[in-house]
Amino acid sequence: MTDEFVPPRKRTGWRRLLGYNLLTALILAVVGYYVGWIAGHHVTGKSVAYFSDIDQNDISVFLAYILAVIGFLLGLGFGAYPFARVRGYPPSLREKESEGIGRYFSLCTDHKVVGIQYLFGIGVFFFIGGVNAMLIRFELLRPSMQAFPAGQYLTLVGLHGTMMMGIMSSAILGPFANYVVPLMIGARRMAFPRIESLTFWILMAAGTVLATTVFFGGFPTGWTGYQPLNDQANAGMDSYIVFFALVGISMTLLGLNMIATIVTMRAPGLTWSRLPIFCWGVLSTAILNLLAAPVLVAVLGMAMLDRTAQTSFFLPSAGGSPYLYENLFWVFGHPEVYILALPGMGIVLELLPVFARKPLWGYRLAVSGLLGVTLLSWLVWQHHLFVSGINSDLRPFYMLSTELISIPTGFTFLCGLMTLWRGQIRYTVPLLFCLAWFFNFLIGGLSGVFLSDVPSDTTTHGSFFSMAHFHYTIMGGLVFAFFAAIYFWVPKMFGLQLNERLGKIHFWTMFISFNSTFAPLFVIGFLDQPRRAVTYAPSLQFLNDWVSISAFVLGASMLVFVGNLVYSLLFVRLPAPANPWDSRSLEWQLPSPVPVHNFDRIPVIAGDPYDYGSAAPPVAVVPAGGVS
Amino acid sequence: MSEVTANESAYEIVESEPAELLGRNLGSAGHLLASATAFFFLAFVFAYFYLRSLNNAGMWRPNHVHPSITLGTIVTALVAAAALVVRLGLADQRVGRRVQCRTKGAIALALGVAAVVLQIVEWESIDFGPASGGYASVFFGWTAALMLFLLGTIYWLETLLATAYRYRNVPHNNPPPGEASGDRYRTGHDIIEPLSLVTPGLEALTFYWSFLAGITVLAWVVLYLL
Repeated sequence: MTDEFVPPRKRTGWRRLLGYNLLTALILAVVGYYVGWIAGHHVTGKSVAYFSDIDQNDISVFLAYILAVIGFLLGLGFGAYPFARVRGYPPSLREKESEGIGRYFSLCTDHKVVGIQYLFGIGVFFFIGGVNAMLIRFELLRPSMQAFPAGQYLTLVGLHGTMMMGIMSSAILGPFANYVVPLMIGARRMAFPRIESLTFWILMAAGTVLATTVFFGGFPTGWTGYQPLNDQANAGMDSYIVFFALVGISMTLLGLNMIATIVTMRAPGLTWSRLPIFCWGVLSTAILNLLAAPVLVAVLGMAMLDRTAQTSFFLPSAGGSPYLYENLFWVFGHPEVYILALPGMGIVLELLPVFARKPLWGYRLAVSGLLGVTLLSWLVWQHHLFVSGINSDLRPFYMLSTELISIPTGFTFLCGLMTLWRGQIRYTVPLLFCLAWFFNFLIGGLSGVFLSDVPSDTTTHGSFFSMAHFHYTIMGGLVFAFFAAIYFWVPKMFGLQLNERLGKIHFWTMFISFNSTFAPLFVIGFLDQPRRAVTYAPSLQFLNDWVSISAFVLGASMLVFVGNLVYSLLFVRLPAPANPWDSRSLEWQLPSPVPVHNFDRIPVIAGDPYDYGSAAPPVAVVPAGGVS
Repeated sequence: MSEVTANESAYEIVESEPAELLGRNLGSAGHLLASATAFFFLAFVFAYFYLRSLNNAGMWRPNHVHPSITLGTIVTALVAAAALVVRLGLADQRVGRRVQCRTKGAIALALGVAAVVLQIVEWESIDFGPASGGYASVFFGWTAALMLFLLGTIYWLETLLATAYRYRNVPHNNPPPGEASGDRYRTGHDIIEPLSLVTPGLEALTFYWSFLAGITVLAWVVLYLL
């Protein structure tokens, strides 16, 4: 092969702005948007279904969004390779892997760059979702309306929920699995590097589309998009549909890429029984991504056809049924809950042996727990419809299947706790977040029993009780693990240390305020305050005020984290040791930050990543000879 | 520096990956894509039987709603025939009959395009629209989604075919310098003998097209025969 490298000529001045980059992408997105808008008005001069009398043209809105996203992706350079393939050029793997800061703002096929792109991209939308939460709690400081009318409040709740559920689906797989999994398995790249980058940029386009719903009047359905409201809502609903469909496409491709990478690209010697438990968590999640997200895309496609082509999938008067949507949505929606939870379990189990200085207890049991949750998560979706008029004969099955899922979940708990048992525990910031995960997820799991049990669900469903439950499960399970991962792997990603003291302040303020925010919501729920209602009984004001103030402190704790990030990475810039946690995992045997190609030679895995305290051989050895 | 990575050089290291690795990736991707496709169309299968069993307002399938079984059968036959021809092309490719393989690829491509065109003709010619009840909704939704997947598969075949034609006179599996690099500043190849990937690419495509043909037959049975 020819290995000649011709350095790029440096562009100067405004010429640097030319080419495939974020600026071009934004310009083409705007052009695409208006082309779609105009084309939509030519397809049909007036709107369809419910909207003809108010001059609303959903075809225009959908076309505008779709062409805007296509323009955005073309501007980033995603069209060049497929076009080259159409003309017969052979496959290649890499683009923009060794250029400077610009690679973070365009298509880059280096999995480490994509991981960092995900970290900051998701952070932006997490911030927007968090600001929405603050506004919701501000509104609920008083029992009557104060800042937002009911319609705007519903949009606010919907934006918060949809942004968090959609974008945070990739919160672990996006930044950490993309960055770490190839390093852990001894690979130089992901199986499909362009698809890896595509998943990120689709997600960013999706988040932007959702944010623009405010220009079309918002949407009234919350994150579930239930029918018949979905069909009847104004054009803001189109933003929701396009957003979640894009998220579904991104999730499917992310899952496909992860599975292909783990299955086919493991280094020699990395048998399934030596695979790091985090990779098992990623694999389980990726399976759910691959199979559940297409159902979401399909059902949203049906909703789009109802709103544009006058089909009647969800219109009972024309042969459809809103329950069709509810069923199909939850076929995706309940595995989605585990898409959020499983990677958190993987991170906690991965980090505990490092800080307990003990092997992972019950490795096979932990793996079976993760796979058991993956399997059972398909059999529980109708517990969301217990009070929606489903056939009562179906209830016992879904009640039992939901309660059954606590068994494999319990396996992961058992393995985690037994790993800590008699360990030489180091109370670092990542470990504190892992310990908080146990506490939060336990409360989330126990309160889930009330919602899986039909008699208690009939009184708690739709109240703040269920809201408290899923925040304990998802924020307590996912976001705490997310921060554990950040504190653990940032030294690897940037080669710099985060400030330990600020990290601990962040942890304690977040942990205390999180519990102070969501624990009282169980009580508020038992006292019958419904979700998504802007007013509530005056007798509940004290509890609501308590929750709101705690939520503001929770929001402030995030600012401590952002401050730590800025302070440590931009100002102090203290170099991190090569292996600050004394981990045996393969990614910590590499320099920080990791070189573009990861490994000079593909290593041979010769040991177990969790053999702490034993005289086992090193985890990886480098084969003598040429490049593998 | 670590014992597993010693230097900062990039392209000299990352270039020249063995083609077998990408071949394995393509094979697994074909199967995974089929799994995702199955779950996508499962939603339409569910919609069909769910709405049919409910028959809300007696509007599941009003009397005038009858698609053209002739056109539907032809479309299904074309997709299935294309899958068969791709499979025969793969057999030719495996034993080195590259000319015959390219010919069969072109035939499969034409069959796939014809299927899409005839499906559009059917949509235009039938005497009911998407608003004609539950069955009509499922019919239009399912067939439209199927055509989108078919177009994607046709694109996949076209890329393999175009590569096979472009380099039909190249004796080995190495294209000229610079033609197999995603970076316009590089002249090297990412993959050793990238043209040898036509065979694993065709294997993955053959599996996926056969799978899609299966979905098409299922759609034909459900939408036209039941």
